Formats: sequence, structure tokens, C-alpha cells
Amino acid sequence: MGVDLSIEVFGIQFKNPIVLASGPAGFGFELQPYLDFSKVGAITLKTITVKAREGNPPPRLVDAYGGIINSIGLQNPGIKGFITEIVPELNKLNTIKIGSIAGFSLEEWQLLVEEMDKIKEIPLIELNLSCPNIKGKRRWAEDVKLTQKVVKTARELTNKPIIVKLAPDVTDIIEIAKAAAEAGADGLTIGNGIQAMRINVETGLPVLKLKTGGLGGPAIKPITLARVFKTSEVLDIPIIGIGGIMDWQDALEYAMAGASLLGIGTAVMVDPQSPTTILSGIEAFLKRKKIKRFRDIIGIAHRGGFSVS
Amino acid sequence: MIEAELKKKRISGDYGFFIFKLQEKIENPDAGQFVMLKAPDEPILAKPFSIYSYKNRELVLFIKRVGRLTGRIFSSPIGEIFYVRGPHGNPYISSIDLTKRYILVGGGSGISPLNFFSELHPELTYTKLYGFKEAHIRKLFNENEQKHLVIEEESGHTVVDALNELISEEVGIIACGPIPMLKNLPKNAYVSLEAVMGCGVGTCKSCALKTIEGVKLVCKDGPLFRKEEITWEWI
Ligand SMILES: Cc1cc2nc3c(=O)[nH]c(=O)nc-3n(C[C@H](O)[C@H](O)[C@H](O)COP(=O)(O)O)c2cc1C
Repeated sequence: MGVDLSIEVFGIQFKNPIVLASGPAGFGFELQPYLDFSKVGAITLKTITVKAREGNPPPRLVDAYGGIINSIGLQNPGIKGFITEIVPELNKLNTIKIGSIAGFSLEEWQLLVEEMDKIKEIPLIELNLSCPNIKGKRRWAEDVKLTQKVVKTARELTNKPIIVKLAPDVTDIIEIAKAAAEAGADGLTIGNGIQAMRINVETGLPVLKLKTGGLGGPAIKPITLARVFKTSEVLDIPIIGIGGIMDWQDALEYAMAGASLLGIGTAVMVDPQSPTTILSGIEAFLKRKKIKRFRDIIGIAHRGGFSVS
Repeated sequence: MIEAELKKKRISGDYGFFIFKLQEKIENPDAGQFVMLKAPDEPILAKPFSIYSYKNRELVLFIKRVGRLTGRIFSSPIGEIFYVRGPHGNPYISSIDLTKRYILVGGGSGISPLNFFSELHPELTYTKLYGFKEAHIRKLFNENEQKHLVIEEESGHTVVDALNELISEEVGIIACGPIPMLKNLPKNAYVSLEAVMGCGVGTCKSCALKTIEGVKLVCKDGPLFRKEEITWEWI
């Protein structure tokens, strides 16, 4: 008996719930020699900004207990470079591509959504409202009104499904999630790196040139998981759960907490094959539990666990 | 990733040779390429290590103890299982002028890729200079290798001083070592860079390097660059 790993959300059929998180997997091409993309449900492409960005000066990455802190700073070729250099190559990756964008002003968001809307290779758009690694810039997702404004603006400009990537480290993520949903978001990504830092005791200085960065990896999983759980308790909107998924158990925890799709960031950097390893782990688990469809376990933690089914 | 069993280690102070037996082979590594090596648990990330030597699934790494992962490798018992993938990065021979022979200038653990280079490409090797501060390092090297060691504690000379006595128009320079050493090299040297890497394959953009042609990545575009190409202030 085969297990049905597929899932339909945002009106789109995903062959399985595994999504490569925006950033660590770049535009996917470099991973192709190591990762079978036909076994990946989707890739969220590296975030694109209006202007090309060279990113922050190094060091941009540091190990932390149970995780890594990065301050890449959205290095990317800009929307023009993306359209001419990257988009023509995208059909080489046999999976669904989610376009990720970040504006610095409402006008920039507008332009980015308009451009993404035209790209037929990209059926879904993720608004990265939560990048923690931009110098001197507050994150849009820290503010209910700003979140709402950006989502509304985007909603008016495209019929493609819109996913909003929220910050896990805000005072009240539910309030912001609600605002995004009311403004017309089709889905939420929860979450992103949590603001963090390390100091080199020999120099007495922050290790990262930007001083702070976003913490990802195992250390953040229990935190982000709780945000996914709480949000899905009150909102009926598909969630991509991201944060510290390193193995199949981590991935299943997110599904059981209410995430429909499962995002993998740091784990892809450690081992480019981890998405397929995680997927086969999920499949084996479902077989063992005699569960026919992956989608039956989504949110099961809200429904009394397995005893009820 | 491929299982790598620690078979042998030889340590002196903060330096050591470590021999790993890989469960599967890695594809024809060439000098300058590196493997990403991971401990079973902490730290989370795999880290890049230049290949010192590789034959018959036997991987030799020359490692300096600096942080969590290297500390872990130094203290591991024989038989401990690590994980590797690779080879990543570009072979030196894909970026150098192949009509020249080269003085290979290493500093500390930077001697690794240079040793592999001299093993695989003796015809391109003019001579080797392996620079260290401490004299105890001698006991890690065999009789043939002793003459290549330039030890500051003994002679008061750095490896760059030794190099300056040898340079001529005809021979090129390939160097790998600490940044201050690389900065002191003469013009036209090829320098092999280290960087904090996340993925090792060009996706995560952690190992960014500013060059005259814009931001490049040490893992995907390097590790070898021309000295003049690099914006050193960014490092
Ligand atoms: C190197 C690196 C680069 C990232 N770049 C982006 C980015 O461009 N856009 C974005 O939305 N998130 C970015 N992220 C955040 C990840 O998508 C993800 O939300 C975060 O790392 C948490 O997931 P993880 O614990 O699985 O790593 C980046 C993360 C890392 C480690």
C-alpha cells in the first residue's frame, strides 16, 4: 500500500509537503547535483529585492548552540537580473517555485508584485515581511498596520496566491497573522530566523559584521512550533511551518501542530539531501501508523492526537 | 552524506593529521577542493576542510584546532564516525596558468591543499614552503618533508621571508594560509581563501568575497583567486 503524500493548498497540488525555505537553497540550481528536485514539493526561491544587493560584509554566519545565526542581507541580483538570468532557467527544476520578494517601501512592494505576477514559471508569491538582516530597518511584520498595508497592496495587483512570511519573534503573532489574512493573504509562512547574536570574547566584539542576525536550526523549533500551533488554533488558513526542521520527526511535529507544508532551511545547508531523507522518514512513519494520507495528520495535535482517529 | 570513520590521528599541540576511511568514494578530488565534514551532533553545520591527501577512500586532513568541530575531532577516539560530502570548490588547475611552475606557500593548516597539489601535479610544483610558528610541529613530518618547513621560532623568518629569497619571474606562487600572510605576498600570487561557509555549494551566500568583479563566493567561485582581484578591506 502506498502512502499519499500529496496535498492541495492555495488551489495548487503539491506532490508532497516538503518546501525548501527561501535563502539556504538559493535558486536551487547549485543543489541539483545533490538533490532530486522531483522529490521536493516546492522551493521558495531566494528573496528578490528591486535593486541588486551585494549583501552584508562578512562574517555573515556563525554557529550558535543548537543553531546558526546568519546575516546574509538578502544578496540577490535584483528583480531585473532575476528576470533575465534566473527565470529562464527555472523550468530545469522539476518542482513548484514560490517567488519570494521584499520591498523597502510600498512602491517597491508594488513593483515587485507586478513583476512576479507576470512570471508564468512562478505560480505563488511569498511576501518576506520578516527578514531580520537588513541594516537599520524594522521588519514590516512587527507592525499590524504595515503588514496589512503591504498585503492589501499585493492583493490588488495579482490573482496568484499570496503567502505572507511572518516573524516568529513579535509580541503577538496571532494579531499580525489575522491582519494578513483579513488583508487577503492566502497563506502564512511561520516563521523566519529569530533575532540573535554572538560576541567574540577575545575581541569583545560581535562576531557578525552586522552585529545581529537571524537564528535558525534546532534551537528555534520549539518556539516556532508554538507559533504555528497557536495561529492554526484560531485561523483557518494554510500555514508553511518553518524553523529547525532537521529530521522527519521535526517535520511531523509541524504537520501535527497545523502546518500544511513543511519548510526546510538550515538542514539543506548541512546536508543537501536532507529533504529527501526527511520525506522518506515521513512516508515510513505513515506506513507504520497505517495512515493512508499525509494530509490526515495535519493539525492532529488540535484534535486529540491519534486516539480520536 | 558519506560515513567517515576516524582511523588514525597524529597530534602535536593544536595541529594534527587525521585519517578517515570513507564508506563510499568521493569523485576524483583535485587539489584545492575541499570536503564538508560534519560531526554526528554538535555543532550543527558541516565545515569545509581542504584535502591533504586522498586515495582509495582514505581521506587525510591536516587540521588546526580552533573551534567546536575541530575540538571535537581532536578529542575523538579512533573509530568515531563523522560525515563528509564533496569534493566541493574548484581545483587549482582550473584557474592557474598551466605553463608555469609554482612555489607553494602554506601557513599553518593552509599547507593542506598545497600538499595535495604537489602530490597530484609534481610537474607544476617548483618547491614547497610550509610555514609554522612553533618548532614542535617538526615531529608531525617525515624526513623528506622537514626541508620544506619554515619555522619562525627557529629561524626568526616567516614563510614570506623565505619566499622572497626564491621568487623570480618564471615561477608562479600559490599560497594558502592566514589572511595577514596572504596580504604580505608579492603581486601576481594566487591565493587560496578560507571563509565561513554554510552550504559549500553556492546557495547560502555565507562565504561572500568582494572582488573587482563584484561579490563572489569562496565555495563556488574559489577557493583560488588572484591576489589583486580581492577587496581585502572587506575580509
Ligand atoms: C543562509 C540563510 C539565508 C536566508 N535567506 C532568506 C531569504 O532570502 N528570504 C527569507 O524569507 N528567508 C531567508 N532565510 C530564512 C529561512 O528561510 C528560514 O526561515 C530560517 O532559516 C528558519 O528555518 P531553519 O531553522 O530551517 O533554518 C535565510 C536563512 C539562512 C540560514
